[in-house]
Amino acid sequence: MHVQMQIAELRPVLLRIARMQLRESAWAEDVVSETLVAALEGAASFEGRSQVKTWAVGILKNKILDHFRRSRREFSVDAQADSQLNDSLDELYDDTGHKANEPLDWGDPEAVLSQAQFVEILQQCVDKLPRSQARIFMMREWLELETGDICEELNITSSNCFVMLHRARLRLRECVEINWFQTGTCDA
Amino acid sequence: MPDLINRIDCKRAHELLSKHMDAPLSPAEYALLKAHLAICDLCVLVERQFRALRSAVRRLGA
Repeated sequence: MHVQMQIAELRPVLLRIARMQLRESAWAEDVVSETLVAALEGAASFEGRSQVKTWAVGILKNKILDHFRRSRREFSVDAQADSQLNDSLDELYDDTGHKANEPLDWGDPEAVLSQAQFVEILQQCVDKLPRSQARIFMMREWLELETGDICEELNITSSNCFVMLHRARLRLRECVEINWFQTGTCDA
Repeated sequence: MPDLINRIDCKRAHELLSKHMDAPLSPAEYALLKAHLAICDLCVLVERQFRALRSAVRRLGA
């Protein structure tokens, strides 16, 4: 298949990832369109050292970072509002500070993480997070930004950043456990 | 370090586990976390789960 056709077929997967990161469909559409244009323009120079998908996702990451910089003020306001959310996580713990529900052994992560259904559930769980928690989590874990850079981009303190990442991870592990490991979906 | 072991509960251990994925802990925080993990298998599972989530997200689009 021609590289151009492979690029065009990536639109749904790029859109899904962009929505997870940006949490706004219109912004996701914009950055994916910019990514596809850039990829098509660069297709002639694509040297095949990586898969087309990996290469296009790399372009998408840069387009998303550009978008964060252009819309810094909007993201900052959202982040400051979400950091004030009264999300105490208290229901996850008993009175002694121990888990109210014991965590399960997820087994061999390598066997689980590569399953398409797991990715679907992970996406649904990220979608359930407060908007800025999801964005910060994705900035840290998918864009692989350092927390100092995230704080600067969003104009929040490092302690707010740590708190939001912690809440996001706890909420995600709870959601994934309930929807994947406790529903019989997992066969790992 | 028996006097350290009971100084943090699982809730605090999870905060430190998460922070440790993003930044170095202070020596005191690190000691408290390690002491807690040495006696709490459930928090060891949570640490693995946090890392599994990271691996899963980093594979998106790979």
